Amino acid sequence: MAELIRSVQKEEDTLAHIVELSLLYDFYGALLKENKREIFEDYVLNDYSLGEISKERGISRQGVYDTVKRCTKELTQYEEKLNLIEKFAKIKKDVGRIHYLLEEIQKDSLISDDSKKNLDVITKIADGIMDNI
Amino acid sequence: MAVKIRLKRLGQKKRPFYRIVVADERAPRDGRFIEEIGTYDPNQEPSAVVVNEELAKKWLANGAQPTDTVGKLFKNAGITK
Repeated sequence: MAELIRSVQKEEDTLAHIVELSLLYDFYGALLKENKREIFEDYVLNDYSLGEISKERGISRQGVYDTVKRCTKELTQYEEKLNLIEKFAKIKKDVGRIHYLLEEIQKDSLISDDSKKNLDVITKIADGIMDNI
Repeated sequence: MAVKIRLKRLGQKKRPFYRIVVADERAPRDGRFIEEIGTYDPNQEPSAVVVNEELAKKWLANGAQPTDTVGKLFKNAGITK
């Protein structure tokens, strides 16, 4: 059993996985129960190993592993229902494209001063959208 | 006391950004650490890893234990094999 857990963990212990979990945490972490959340935070945000968390909290390594798994499942279910991360990623991509196009237009030396001002306003609005989602 | 090399999540919400830090194994979570030796920014495409190779090698040679994630990062950055 321990062997199995180790190999499963190894597969999932990639950087991409940690980043993914920490995004799930950003969006839905507040919905986790406090004791579970603390363990999840230690694992995902503070990069503590299952063994370290288990030693520190006086619970079994298996228990820590199960908690992390359960939290991951819970957060994933929220995402499946609400899709906030997916929407966030799409908006981020679109706003990136707006910024790119704005820069392209600003390179054009023929645009009027008024248009330039408008472009600056659009840039600020686009920044504001990213800050607020 | 054992010394660890860990990732530490920073950055505002929804924009993960990490420091690679050297810290005592039992350092509190409030961020006290011995030294920062790099950063990892997954927001960029491709994600950007900056490591002070000299410091990383020095700490590894002195027995500092990288976590699995940092180990992976070092490998990707070509610091360890």
